[in-house]
Amino acid sequence: MRTFNTLLLAIWVGVIILASHAMGQQAYSWLPIAAAAEAEPVGHLFSFLVTLGTIVFLGVMGVLVYSILFYRVGNNDKSDAPAIRGNWKLEITWTVIPILLVTWIASYSYTIYQRMNTLGSLPLAHLHVLEAPAYAETDNSKMQSGEHIEVIAKQWSWSFRYPNRNVTSTELHLPVNQPVHLMLQSEDVLHGFYVPNFRIKQDIIPNQTIEFKFTPNRIGQYQLHDSQFSGTYFALMEASVYVDSPEQYSEWLAQAATRSPAPAANPATSEHTQPSAIPLRSHWHTVPPAQPPVVNK
Amino acid sequence: MSQSINPTSKRDNLSFGFPIFLLSESIIFVSFFVTYALLRWKNPNWFPPGVSGLDVPRAAINTVILVASSGVIYLAERALDRHKLIKFRRLWLLTISLGVIFLIGQVIEWRNMPFGLDAGLAGATFYLLTGFHGLHVLTGVILMLYMYFRSLAPGNYSAGHQGVSAVSLFWHFVDIIWIILFLLLYIW
Amino acid sequence: MTEISIQTSNEPHQTTWKRYFSFSTDHKVIGVQYLVTAFLFFLIGGLFAMIVRAELLTPQLDVVDRSLYNGLFTMHGTIMIFLWIFPANVGLANYLVPLMIGARETAFPVLNAIAYWLIPVVGILLLFSFFLPSGTAQAGWWSYPPVSIQNPSGHFVNGEFIWLLAVAISGVSSIMGGVNLVTTILQMRAPGMTFFRMPVYVWTTLSAQLLQLFCLPALTGAAILLLFDLSFGTDFFSPFKQGDPVIYQHLFWFYSHPAVYVMALPAFGVFSEVLPVFARKPLFGYKTVAVSSLLISGISTMVWVHHMFASATPNWMRIVFMATSMLVAVPTGIKVFAWTATVWRGKLHFQTPMLFALGGVAMFLFAGITGVMLASLPFDIHVNNTYFVVGHFHYVVFNTVTMAIYAGIYYWFPKITGRMYSEGWGKLHFWLTFIGANLNFFPMHPIGLQGMVRRIASYDPQYTGWNVVASLGAFLLGMSTLPFIANMVSSWMRGRKAPNNPWNATGLEWTTSSPPPIENFEEIPTVTSEPYGYGESHPIPLG
Ligand code: HEA
Ligand code: HEA
Ligand code: CUA
Ligand SMILES: [Cu+2]
Repeated sequence: MRTFNTLLLAIWVGVIILASHAMGQQAYSWLPIAAAAEAEPVGHLFSFLVTLGTIVFLGVMGVLVYSILFYRVGNNDKSDAPAIRGNWKLEITWTVIPILLVTWIASYSYTIYQRMNTLGSLPLAHLHVLEAPAYAETDNSKMQSGEHIEVIAKQWSWSFRYPNRNVTSTELHLPVNQPVHLMLQSEDVLHGFYVPNFRIKQDIIPNQTIEFKFTPNRIGQYQLHDSQFSGTYFALMEASVYVDSPEQYSEWLAQAATRSPAPAANPATSEHTQPSAIPLRSHWHTVPPAQPPVVNK
Repeated sequence: MSQSINPTSKRDNLSFGFPIFLLSESIIFVSFFVTYALLRWKNPNWFPPGVSGLDVPRAAINTVILVASSGVIYLAERALDRHKLIKFRRLWLLTISLGVIFLIGQVIEWRNMPFGLDAGLAGATFYLLTGFHGLHVLTGVILMLYMYFRSLAPGNYSAGHQGVSAVSLFWHFVDIIWIILFLLLYIW
Repeated sequence: MTEISIQTSNEPHQTTWKRYFSFSTDHKVIGVQYLVTAFLFFLIGGLFAMIVRAELLTPQLDVVDRSLYNGLFTMHGTIMIFLWIFPANVGLANYLVPLMIGARETAFPVLNAIAYWLIPVVGILLLFSFFLPSGTAQAGWWSYPPVSIQNPSGHFVNGEFIWLLAVAISGVSSIMGGVNLVTTILQMRAPGMTFFRMPVYVWTTLSAQLLQLFCLPALTGAAILLLFDLSFGTDFFSPFKQGDPVIYQHLFWFYSHPAVYVMALPAFGVFSEVLPVFARKPLFGYKTVAVSSLLISGISTMVWVHHMFASATPNWMRIVFMATSMLVAVPTGIKVFAWTATVWRGKLHFQTPMLFALGGVAMFLFAGITGVMLASLPFDIHVNNTYFVVGHFHYVVFNTVTMAIYAGIYYWFPKITGRMYSEGWGKLHFWLTFIGANLNFFPMHPIGLQGMVRRIASYDPQYTGWNVVASLGAFLLGMSTLPFIANMVSSWMRGRKAPNNPWNATGLEWTTSSPPPIENFEEIPTVTSEPYGYGESHPIPLG
C-alpha cells in the first residue's frame, strides 16, 4: 500500500512537471508576434513564469481537488476528523520553498532585465531628477549610433519627428535591426508608448524628455497604443508602426521630405466634431482635442 | 450594570485609542513633508523672484511661544494630578493664551507675506503646511476651552481626567509637528 | 457615550427592523448596517460594470459615449473598493470581533456609528456627481494628474472635486473605524483571550486595520494636494510649472497597494474560520497563519512601486521593488498551504460557506500566481495597463474577496439573523457565481497578453472573441446575485429558526444565543485554550 502510494505520488509529480513544461512551451504563442530584440528574452521569461506558476497551481490544486473528491464526509458521520494542529517541519518546508522560488524568479527576472538593458530597451537618464546625473553621462556616450526620433504625444495624437531629415509624420517608421532612440515627449498629460509586439512600454511625462531605446528586428506593420490613460479620447490614440528594410526606410524618408507639411487627419478631432449616434449620451464637457500635428505624411 | 465586568473601561480605551489616532494623523503631515522636500529639492529656484526667504525671526518667536506652551500644559496636567484645581485652571488658561498668541502671530505672518497661494510652489507649500497646522492649533485651542469649562463643573475630574491628558497629548503633537515644519520651511 | 449604551440595554427586546435605520451604537446593528449598505453599492457598482461589459461586447463604440464610459469605470472601481469591499469587511468585523474576543461592545461605540453614517454620505456624493454638468470623475480610480485636474467644465463643483471630497470623507470614516477596531482588539479581550487564542479572523482584521491607520492618511494627504491643484490654482503636481505628477503616484500607491491587503486580509480570515469548521479539523499551523497576517501587512508597505514600473521610475527603484513585491508570496503561501493542509484528511461538509471558501481559495491561488508574474519587472512592462492586470485583480477582488464575503455572510447568517438560509438557493448562487466569474475574468488574461489596453471603450477587432466570452460571463455573474438576494430576504423573514451553534463550530460567537443579546454574553466567558479545537475532547473554549 505504501509503495503504491509513493508510486502514485511519483506519477502525479511527473504529470505536473510534464504538464507545466508543456504549458511553458505553449506560453510563447499567447504573446503577439515578437518584432524587437527585447521581445525574445521577455518571451523566455514569460515561459519560465508560466512553467513555475503551473507547477505551483497544479501542486496545490491537486491536493485540494483530491481532498474534495476523497475526504467528503460519509452519510450520517457526525464525528470530527483527526485533530492535527500542525507540523513544524512541514511549515518550515513551505516557508523555505517559496523563498527559494521567489528568489529564483527575482534573479531570473533581473538577468532578463539586464539583457534588455544591454539591448537597450530601458528608458534612460535625465528622465527623473531623483536619478543620479552621473547615469546620464555614461548613457549619452552609448547613444551615438542609431536613429534618433522625437515622439510627441498630445491629446489625442501621436507625431514622430526625424530631426536630421526634416520629416514629421503620424506614422512611425523604423529601420529593421538597428537600435532606435526615441525621445518621448508629451505636451499635456501623461501618455504611454506601447507596442505589444516589441514588449516594451514607457510612460511619457509632460515637460520631460525620456530617451527610450530598442531594436526592432522583424519587418512588418504594428500598432502603437497609448498605454497611460489620457482622457476622453484615450482609446483613439493609436498610430501605425512600420519596421522597414533599410532601403524602404530611406525611400520613405526621402519621399516624405518632398511633401509639404499639412495638418494631419485625427480620429479624436473628427469624433469630437461629429459624434456618432449612440444610445446613452452624457453631454458632459470634455477637453477638446489639441490641434492635430502638422506633418509631411 | 453588567458593563463593569468589561476587562477594560472606556477611559482606558481613550488613552489607548487617542495616541493611535494621532500617529495616524501624523502620516498626513508626513505625506505633506515628503512632498514638500521632494519638490524643493527638485526646484533650485524655490522662491518667487524678489523673495530670498521667509521671515525667520518672527517664526522663531512663534516657535518659542508654542514650545513654551507645551511646557505649561505639562505643568497644568501635573497640577491636576495633585488635585490642585485652581492652579490647573490658571496654567490651562495660560496655555490657551499662548496658543491664541501663536495663532495671531500666524495671521500677522500670512497678511505680511510677500507672495500668495498662487505664487508657485513656495507659496503653495507655505500656505498649505502652515494652514493645515494652524487648523490643528485652532482645534487644540477649542478642545482646551471645552476642557476648561468642564473643569468648572464640580467634581468632574474626581474620577480621572483622560480627556485632559488626551488634549494635552494633542497639544504636544501639534508642537512637534510645528518644530519639524519650522525646520523644513524656514531653516532649510 | 455611556448614556447611549445604557439606553439601548434597557430595551432588550427591541428587535424591529427600525433600529437598522437608527443611529445605533450597538456594534451588531452597525455591522448589519455596513453589510447591507455595502451590498447596495455593490449592486450599483456592478450595474456600472454591466454597462462597461455591454460596451465591450463589440469593438465599436455603441452603447455609451466616451466620457460616460470613462466615468463609469472610474465610479465602478471607486464604488467597488471604497463602498463595497471596505465597508463590507468592516461590517463583518464590527459584527464579529467583539463576539469573537468576548467583549460586550466595541471600544468607541459612538465613533463607530459616526464612521458608518459617513458611508452613505460618500455614496450619495459620488452618485450625485453623475448629474453635474461636468459629469462625474473620469480619470480612473487612480485619478492621476494632470488629466484629473484638467477640469474642462470650468465649474468649481465638478466631478473630480466631488470624487476627492468623497475619498477624503471615506478616509475619515476608515480611520475612525480603524481606531475603534484596533483598540477593541488590543484592549477589550475577555479573560484568557491571549493573542495566540484569538481566531485568525481577529488577527487578519487587526493587520488590515493597522494598514488603514498608517497608510491611508497618505492618500488623504494626496487628495488634499490634488484638490488644491484642481480648485485653488496651486501646482504641486503640474509638470509645466514646478510640480511633479510622479510624486502623486507615489503617495497614491503608498496607500493603495496596502489597500489591496486591507481588502484581502479579512478574506483570508474568513477562509481560516470556515475551512476548519466544514473540514472538522483544527486550522493547520494556527500560529504561523496568525503571524503571517502581520508579516503580509509589514511587507505590503514596501512594495508600492510595482504599480509604477512603467512610470518615470529609475532602475534601482524598479529592481528593489521587484524584489520586495515577490516576498509577499511567502507569508501568503504559508496561508494557502495551511488551508490546503486543513482540508487534507478532513471530513468535508459541502455547505454553501464551504463551497465559497474552497472556490475562493482556488481562485486566489491563480490570482496570486499572476500577481507574482506581474511583480516580475520585465514581464510587467509588457502587460502593465493591459487587461492582464485587470484580470489579475478581479481574480482577487471578486473571485477571492467577494467570494470570501459571501462565504462569511452565509456562515454567520444564522448567528446574525437567528434563522437558517436556504441551502439549495445558496448552492445555486455559488455555482452561478463560480462559473460566471471565471467566464468573466479568465479571458482578460489572454487579451491582456495580446496587448489590449485597459480603460478603452472601443478596441481593435482582433480582441473580439475573448471579450464576448467575458461579457457573457459578466451578465451571468450579474444574474447570480438574484438567488442570493432572494435567499437572504426570504430566509431572514421566514427561514427556519437557527440554533445557537448550527455548525458545531468552536469560537465564542457560537456560545451565545442566535441572534446574540444586546450585550452579547450573559456572562463574560473565560478562555482556556487555542481556537479551532475540532476533534479534541473540549472543543469549545469556555470556562
Ligand atoms: C485583494 C486584492 C489584491 C491582492 C491580494 C493582490 C495580490 C498581489 N498582487 Fe495585485 N493588484 C490588485 C489587487 C490585489 N493584488 C489590484 C486592485 C491591482 C491593480 C490596481 C489598478 O491598477 O487599478 C493589482 C495590481 C498588481 C500589480 C501591478 C501591475 C501593473 O499595474 O502593471 C502587481 C505587480 O507586481 C501586483 C502584484 C501582486 C502580488 C505579487 C500579489 C501577492 O500578494 C500574491 C501572493 C499570493 C500567491 C503567490 C499565491 C499563494 C502562494 C503560494 C502558493 C506560494 C508559492 C508561490 C510562488 C512561489 C509563486 N498586483
Ligand atoms: C473592488 C472590487 C471590484 C469588483 C467586485 C469588481 C467587479 C466587476 N468588475 Fe471591476 N474593477 C475594479 C474593481 C472591482 N470590480 C477596479 C478597481 C477597476 C479599475 C477601474 C479603473 O480602471 O480605474 C475595475 C475595472 C473593471 C473593468 C475594466 C474597465 C476598463 O478598464 O475599461 C471591467 C471590464 O470588464 C470590470 C468588470 C467587472 C465586472 C463584470 C464585475 C462583476 O463582478 C460585477 C458583477 C455585478 C453584479 C454582481 C451586480 C449586477 C447587478 C445587476 C445586474 C442589477 C443591479 C440593479 C440595480 C442597482 C437596481 N471592472
Ligand atoms: Cu495619450 Cu495617454
Ligand atoms: Cu500592489
